[in-house]
Amino acid sequence: MSLLETAGLTVTFGGKRAVDSLNLSVDQGQLVGLIGPNGAGKTTTIDALTGFVPSQGRISFDGDEISSLSSTLRARRGLGRTWQSSELFDDLTVMENLQVAAERLRFGGFLRDLVKPRNDDVSELRSILDSLDLGETAEQLPTELSHGQRKLVGVARALAASPKLVCMDEPAAGLDTEESQALGRRIRSVVEGGRSVLLIDHDMGLVLTICDYLYVLDFGQLIAEGTPAEIRNNDQVITAYLGERHATTEPHGSTGD
Amino acid sequence: MTTTSALRRQATPGRILALGASLLGVVLLVVILANADQSQAIALGIGGGALIAAIALSVTLNYQGSGVVNFAAGAMAMYGGYIYYGLRVNGQLFLPPIPNPLALVEGGVHIFGAKSFSLPHIPVFITLAHTSKGVAAYGTVITQPAMPVWAALIISMLVCAVMGLIFHFLIFRPLRHAPVLAKVVASVGLFIIMQAVIVLRFTSSAKSVEPILPQRPVHLPRGISLPSDQLFLVGIVIVVAVALWAIFKFTRFGLATRAAAENEKGALVLGYNPDFLAGVNWVASTCLAGFFGILAAPINQSIDPITITLLIVPALAAALLAKFNGFIVTLMAGLGIGMATSWIQLISNKSWFPKSGGAAIPGLTNALPFLIIILVLALRGKSLPTRGSIETVRLPFAPRPRRAVPTSILLALGTGVLLFVVTPNWRLAIVNSVVGMVICLSLVVLTGYVGQISLMQMALAGISGFTLSKIADAHHIPFPIGPLIGALAAVVIGLLAGIPALRVRGVNLAVVTFAAAVTIENFVFANPAWSGLKGANIAPPSLFGLHFGPNDPWTKVFGSGQGLLPNPWFGVFCLVVVVILILGVVNIRRSRVGRHMLAVRSNERAAAAAGVSVSGTKILAFGVAAFIAGIGGALSGYRFGSVTAGYFGAIPSMIFLAFAYLGGISSVSGAVVGGIIVSGGILTTVMTNWIHISDQYTLLLAGLGLITMAIFNPEGVAGAFRDSAAALRRRMSKKDETVDSTPPEINAELAS
Repeated sequence: MSLLETAGLTVTFGGKRAVDSLNLSVDQGQLVGLIGPNGAGKTTTIDALTGFVPSQGRISFDGDEISSLSSTLRARRGLGRTWQSSELFDDLTVMENLQVAAERLRFGGFLRDLVKPRNDDVSELRSILDSLDLGETAEQLPTELSHGQRKLVGVARALAASPKLVCMDEPAAGLDTEESQALGRRIRSVVEGGRSVLLIDHDMGLVLTICDYLYVLDFGQLIAEGTPAEIRNNDQVITAYLGERHATTEPHGSTGD
Repeated sequence: MTTTSALRRQATPGRILALGASLLGVVLLVVILANADQSQAIALGIGGGALIAAIALSVTLNYQGSGVVNFAAGAMAMYGGYIYYGLRVNGQLFLPPIPNPLALVEGGVHIFGAKSFSLPHIPVFITLAHTSKGVAAYGTVITQPAMPVWAALIISMLVCAVMGLIFHFLIFRPLRHAPVLAKVVASVGLFIIMQAVIVLRFTSSAKSVEPILPQRPVHLPRGISLPSDQLFLVGIVIVVAVALWAIFKFTRFGLATRAAAENEKGALVLGYNPDFLAGVNWVASTCLAGFFGILAAPINQSIDPITITLLIVPALAAALLAKFNGFIVTLMAGLGIGMATSWIQLISNKSWFPKSGGAAIPGLTNALPFLIIILVLALRGKSLPTRGSIETVRLPFAPRPRRAVPTSILLALGTGVLLFVVTPNWRLAIVNSVVGMVICLSLVVLTGYVGQISLMQMALAGISGFTLSKIADAHHIPFPIGPLIGALAAVVIGLLAGIPALRVRGVNLAVVTFAAAVTIENFVFANPAWSGLKGANIAPPSLFGLHFGPNDPWTKVFGSGQGLLPNPWFGVFCLVVVVILILGVVNIRRSRVGRHMLAVRSNERAAAAAGVSVSGTKILAFGVAAFIAGIGGALSGYRFGSVTAGYFGAIPSMIFLAFAYLGGISSVSGAVVGGIIVSGGILTTVMTNWIHISDQYTLLLAGLGLITMAIFNPEGVAGAFRDSAAALRRRMSKKDETVDSTPPEINAELAS
């Protein structure tokens, strides 16, 4: 039984099908890559899964149908995400960023906090930060961090909510090769810890090394899926990435950007 | 994709709504036109509608040119009317108060006793023509206007153009990349300044004005007759709207402005200078507003500082209907609102219409634009124009309070002792400041922590005050429960007004809350069933037989002034309340809810992805802020012994946002500073008693301070202190290169 499973997931923007009848599944403890050229619909897929764009089709997560739930409720069920441009809370320290994701607000707790704020236990969050080499930055504001660190804080914040599945949107973009490899090892260790990850990235080296299974999108359509070894030798994938060097049977339409 | 969408005509919900509204209007018209008196009333509303349309066109021009929703457009029309009035009647061009550095020297000399010492003053008026006395029929002496109409008009327009340039270069150009809050606050500052200048120069009483356009009755079909000046006015506004439409549709200038409104970066890349476009549009919009202020004032036969100024609310409704974008739709909406207002006025006086205390229900005419605004914004939801700017700037930094408990308790103790020592007028100043702090605190929670701009906090305070008077006191509900009931009533209204905030952000929320404040003010506070002419009385508070109302007699404890009022124990009571509220807000910032609020303020999408309930957090903030404002309303009710419409409402709400922002909108210490600078508070008392600056200048200085603050230091006075203190600490411990905790842009500001 898959943790996440979509059936006929479709997103349309004013007549254009940005994601077209996508079926994908992610198992418990699996690292699944979602790749494709620019404009293929990868980020839109994550937006649809996490409820940030309206979509058609079924999305089942952890045994429940979640496609009618709001983004907030999906996140609370354990479907986390990171953002292409980090999207950190710049007014809060790194630790507070993580706390927001880890804590739930309840009215009773709010009233109690008015009188005497609780000292929330942050040891678990600290260990998340340490595992990503961010321990030093806990009391800093995100604006003071380097680009790479900000990306990592985004990942840490997603992990702070103890999600069952994290959708990571290009966590390695803008990182150098060394940083990118280090990030890959960390993502891998997240998966070893029992969580699932759906990873989007342009760094083919990274994706092909660390993922268990890959889906390849082009113009919103699934053109291939399989293990990294299978994808590496798939003609359609090579065509999609390198252009129409070979004759292809895939109808491409006129969408894209 | 986004760069072209607004240039293309699409069947957006807004357009459908506008179409639906106009269809409904047509149907309604057909029904009503069967009634002679009703069609006459509608026709008579067209003059007012023309002025609303003109102000709405001015707002639209501003938005197109510089992305500012100008709350001061109505004030500009009013100001233009006064410029013309001064020139035409007295031949004098009035000047705003200009600070005179020599006055400091003079004042300094006066302190040393040389009272006759005098240095040159900056003039108040420039006299351009002299009045002449003529003898009219029957021997009465009348004063001839000093200046011909055309000359007065031309000079007025020149002054308006200069003002437009000043607004652009001194205020809105420096703010072009500032957050929405700073722009709203600057236009609120402009509003306050223009109103304060007019009250200073012409007093707040109405001046009668003579007609400019010919006023002959014109007979239209179906027995309707209209004064010709209204028809002229409508004709002129139609010409202006069509001209603007043509300019924006067909000329290169208009195209460039539209491109810049859609995406500033795109316009830059295309080789246009958005700054120049903004300047030209500012001049055009101030002249437009001023011109119609001049022409329309005679319709009411008089001009005063409030009436035209507040037409900004229906004008904003009209501009919103057209998405700050279409001139013709704006025109139609403005005229329609004017006519509908006049019609509602008529039917609310009909015998079959529900009455309030035997008289027509007040404020119905104000409810119409409010309903339009709510409907439009709620239906459009997220699709409202948010301008693509080159960079996004954060709201002021909201620091975690440090040592708040000992600091606030020590300060309160010190102030409490002072209350018994100082003279009554200082005692009153302290009480006013403490009450002001409460209102500022409510804005810290809502605007500072969650980023929701509210221009209705004083109206909510008023809801609480009136509830305390009408429900709690009338039923003899004892002291601590009465004000709590009042505050809960404020919470109910605050939550209702907060519902649109779930779909509306930024400046549009400011528009909604301002319209709500105007509606509450007219609907509730000015309702004779709620408040008589003198306002609604409130019994002084007492607990366990102790009477601590401001006018209760008291016996000397120590210090001076036994028995003199106000009773210092009332001040102590206010201090206790404010300390409790301050500690509550400090705890909000220190606990989960504060982190969630700031997360929502920073990034709503990311907050939702982190499992934060964005709507829940906003609603909670609206409720908490309304509760605090409600407590403030009860305190000020006790302070005056009654609540009056004038003290609560739209303009006071605006002014309080100004004080809160000046103090520092995003920190508790900012609210304390905000309370100190409110009118009638400690700072004003210092100014009037020690520096001898008249009370009348308070609002003017507040407006100026507000704009200065918006441009140079969005963190307010408290923020400036904090930064200086931090810089000082750093300098003291230079060896210890610890992590710099102030965000880089603040440091950049400190350095510059």
